[in-house]
Amino acid sequence: MKLTDLLTEDLIKMDVEGSTKDEVMNELASLIEANGALTEKQPYIDALHAREQQSSTGIGFGIAIPHGKSDAVKEPRVAFGIKRDGVDWASMDDEPANLIFMIAVPEKSAGDEHLKILQMLSRKLIDDEFRQSLLNATTKEDIIKLASEI
Amino acid sequence: MKLLAITSCPNGIAHTYMAAEKLAKAAEAMGHEIKVETQGSIGVENELTAEEIRAADGIIIAADKQVDKSRFNGKKVLATGVGEGIRKPEELIKKFENDEVPVYGKEDSTEVKEEKRGKENPIYRSLMNGVSYMIPFVVVGGLLIALALAIGGEPTPTGLQIPEGSVWQTILNVGAASFTLMVPILAGFIAYSIADRPGLAPGMVGGYIAATGSFYGSDAGAGFIGGIIAGFLAGYIAKAIKRIPVPKMVQPIMPILVIPLVATFLVAVIFIFVIGQPIAGLMEGLTSFLQGMEGASRIVLALILGAMIAFDMGGPFNKVAFLFGAAMIAEGNAYIMGAIAVAICTPPLGLGLATLLNKKKYADEEREAGKAALAMGLVGITEGAIPLAARDPLRVIPSIMIGAMVGSVIAMMSNVADNVPHGGPIVAVFQAVDNVLMFFIAIIVGVLVTAFLVNALKKPIKE
Repeated sequence: MKLTDLLTEDLIKMDVEGSTKDEVMNELASLIEANGALTEKQPYIDALHAREQQSSTGIGFGIAIPHGKSDAVKEPRVAFGIKRDGVDWASMDDEPANLIFMIAVPEKSAGDEHLKILQMLSRKLIDDEFRQSLLNATTKEDIIKLASEI
Repeated sequence: MKLLAITSCPNGIAHTYMAAEKLAKAAEAMGHEIKVETQGSIGVENELTAEEIRAADGIIIAADKQVDKSRFNGKKVLATGVGEGIRKPEELIKKFENDEVPVYGKEDSTEVKEEKRGKENPIYRSLMNGVSYMIPFVVVGGLLIALALAIGGEPTPTGLQIPEGSVWQTILNVGAASFTLMVPILAGFIAYSIADRPGLAPGMVGGYIAATGSFYGSDAGAGFIGGIIAGFLAGYIAKAIKRIPVPKMVQPIMPILVIPLVATFLVAVIFIFVIGQPIAGLMEGLTSFLQGMEGASRIVLALILGAMIAFDMGGPFNKVAFLFGAAMIAEGNAYIMGAIAVAICTPPLGLGLATLLNKKKYADEEREAGKAALAMGLVGITEGAIPLAARDPLRVIPSIMIGAMVGSVIAMMSNVADNVPHGGPIVAVFQAVDNVLMFFIAIIVGVLVTAFLVNALKKPIKE
């Protein structure tokens, strides 16, 4: 399995419309729903909110990784959105988030391969250069290309 | 330096690994060796070995989940949130470079969140620890007993009785079970916070002895004040035994066998022979003192009874006053019990009201305990005040004593009588009270005095 198995072009939004955390999560969740990976959207949204309530997934450096584990998720997916002027994510460094990787994971999943992929992604996002290349990307193909490096 | 780290976050999907990556990079950049164990949803990966822990100069725990620290006893451990690991790995590592990280487990091994409390008075901290574990027992027991009495109780000359074999009897017994555990838990966790795990058994057993008067030939146990004494006694004895150097061979059995056994024995001996017997004597003395007061001024008597009822909330003073009032009903003088019935409920009601009036002076758990105290006060369970009193006895106990004294005197002066040996508004509901109006006025005044006094004395809590 590769990250590009989880993150496909239809799950990417180069310019996120929402201007609040909730709107953005809702928007990206719609992409995952349209992709057919959800049985129902609301339980997944609830799982995202439950996670945000524990602590913000805005980890700083302009990155947010909202993630939800739910029975409503059929298959693991990653949606990605860019918000050029940033969206407030109650991040640890108070900076707005520009790069949003939103993760959907089934409650009970066979194997943990997808978790390994997400682990790789998480580690890669620490890399300044990788983040900069994501921000520099202009097309979905660019994003997929970067994702395939992982 | 050789550093180790553990990262973990609630879902274990992303932050765990970002923090691991950041810490690894920062350590490398600063010229240190590091190995990071990740506790994520895949499970534990890159697990630290005992050998590595032994060789390490320090351990960083960047986790938003509980991480077992017992394997790091005697090492320098810096515990923080996973976010710090992602955001400020350099600062965390610098703390080791500057030797600012304390050794874990040497002084005491309280949890991460208690690091902030390090500057507090250790006696106060131990007391707090015991009280916070005790509160749920008081609340559960008190509310179940209150429910059983309020719905299933019937007034009789021997007190509020619940018919044998009824479901309310069972509920009452369940509540009583929780109440029985209250003092042992208080004492046990006071001792635990002083001496760690080896203190728990001596503390709990000591607390049970303190609460059980039959150990030392007394009609009543030593109440929660006795429990506090037993807890500190057990804690410091266990801690003292810990300090005695022993051969390596014996070391492994010290915390599970030698320390608990010796400390329990000593606590039991001290409590039964040094503290317990005087309590039995004290109760006899108080009883004959009260009997001698029978002819004295009724107002003086009301003052004394009010103070005794409130002072230890179910301990020996309270019991003696209560039994005296009950005996007086049998002699046809129900006015004494009238005054006592007021004093029985003003401590929990007054403190409950106080937590509602000034939220800043009470911790969250105290405010919850305050609400439960209100319910318990209504049915005459003075013990409902204990969680609030035990945290801050020097300010709270005088306040509830004065409130109860005021209430008792008003009741006594206006000839309030109570024909059932029980207290609180519930006895009026059961029509056991003469002069109901003044009964309630006495309660209300006593409650207000208690609430305003305690809030005037208490300081706002520090965060």
